[in-house]
Amino acid sequence: MKIEKEPISGQYGKFKIDGIDYRIYWEEAGQGIPLVCLHTAGSDGRQYRALLNDKKILERFRVIVFDMPWHGKSSPPENAQIQNYKLSTDFYISQIMSFIDGLELIKPVVMGCSIGGRIILHLAINFPEKFRALIGLQSAGHLDPYYDISWLHRQDVHGGEVCGGIAYGLMAPTSPESHKFETMWHYMQSGPGIFKGDLFFYKFDGNIGNEIKKIDNSKCPIYLLTGEYDYSATPEETKSLADTIGIEMIKMKNVGHFPMSENPKEFLKYLHPVLNKIN
Amino acid sequence: MFKSLIDDNEKRSQLSIMAQYLNTCFMISTIENEYLVNIEKGVVKNVEEGPFVMPSYVFKLTAPKNEWIKFLQNTPQPGSHDIIAMLRRKVLKFEGDLHPLMSHLLYFKLLLASLRPVENKIEN
Repeated sequence: MKIEKEPISGQYGKFKIDGIDYRIYWEEAGQGIPLVCLHTAGSDGRQYRALLNDKKILERFRVIVFDMPWHGKSSPPENAQIQNYKLSTDFYISQIMSFIDGLELIKPVVMGCSIGGRIILHLAINFPEKFRALIGLQSAGHLDPYYDISWLHRQDVHGGEVCGGIAYGLMAPTSPESHKFETMWHYMQSGPGIFKGDLFFYKFDGNIGNEIKKIDNSKCPIYLLTGEYDYSATPEETKSLADTIGIEMIKMKNVGHFPMSENPKEFLKYLHPVLNKIN
Repeated sequence: MFKSLIDDNEKRSQLSIMAQYLNTCFMISTIENEYLVNIEKGVVKNVEEGPFVMPSYVFKLTAPKNEWIKFLQNTPQPGSHDIIAMLRRKVLKFEGDLHPLMSHLLYFKLLLASLRPVENKIEN
């Protein structure tokens, strides 16, 4: 039988993050400018499967996607116990910087979605000189809780089912069902309490107020793209963020909170022109 | 408006499997009217239209009729496409014991969306 092989390779490596060893899994494809992609809360790097297969992007970019600790095929730290996992801003920044240092990437582009779209703002504030460009998908400076996230991790509710149910609604009704299902499936496979723990960063610790004004687009170009069906980080919130930074935002039609995963064909129409601007 | 939930049980057989241990009774309110929906083993067994004097139910979903109409469009607009999106806009309220709803969240989303005129299925 002939199989259709993808150009993606996967690897494991041990990274020291804040003094602790983590076994991290990453996938990559292509060559050229390093483009590090950050997945959403409670999911993993499979969300970027279309980018890792896009011939046009792979001609100019080395696309690299890692699973955060506790996510996908990356392990919790050694001797970890089931605990009250909470993602802090500092730990999130540390894992990104450790990954970039570990792979000896020079001035990469970093693109993140949702929590990843938030953390790129922190990177822009703190280390603009280290990046060639930053791309935020579904970026908002802050998010006030709008539903009770304790439902995401309680022993009398199946975590995979409820997290999948939450993720499903964040996608556009116009996105292809097969991609929506796969995106939801990643959520259904997440470890207990991990989605909720990531949302601690998204809804509390990682909220940015007036510090947004410190972002200087001339030090590092920032691009913001948001799907019209996202009700978590809405296009209006991204627009407000973009106005503060003094840049234009791109509103993507027919996609929701997971553009690269729920509707890759539509998303790539918007991403290609952005990547063309990056040298 | 929600009376037809009783009609399509056959078409929803796969959906019922997702909730095969679910037995509950919930209320949908459009403010001007109410619908009491009885579910047994994931199958809609009965839908009663109000007004009611002493309705008994486990949880209730309340939104103005015009918001439910927007939700039930073939391709709903952003913010009207999902019950949590409506919650976020504060046009929908969840009340009561939410355990059956949250433990079967996808089931309830798809159950309500099954009333849309045509399912949105595009395959790439």
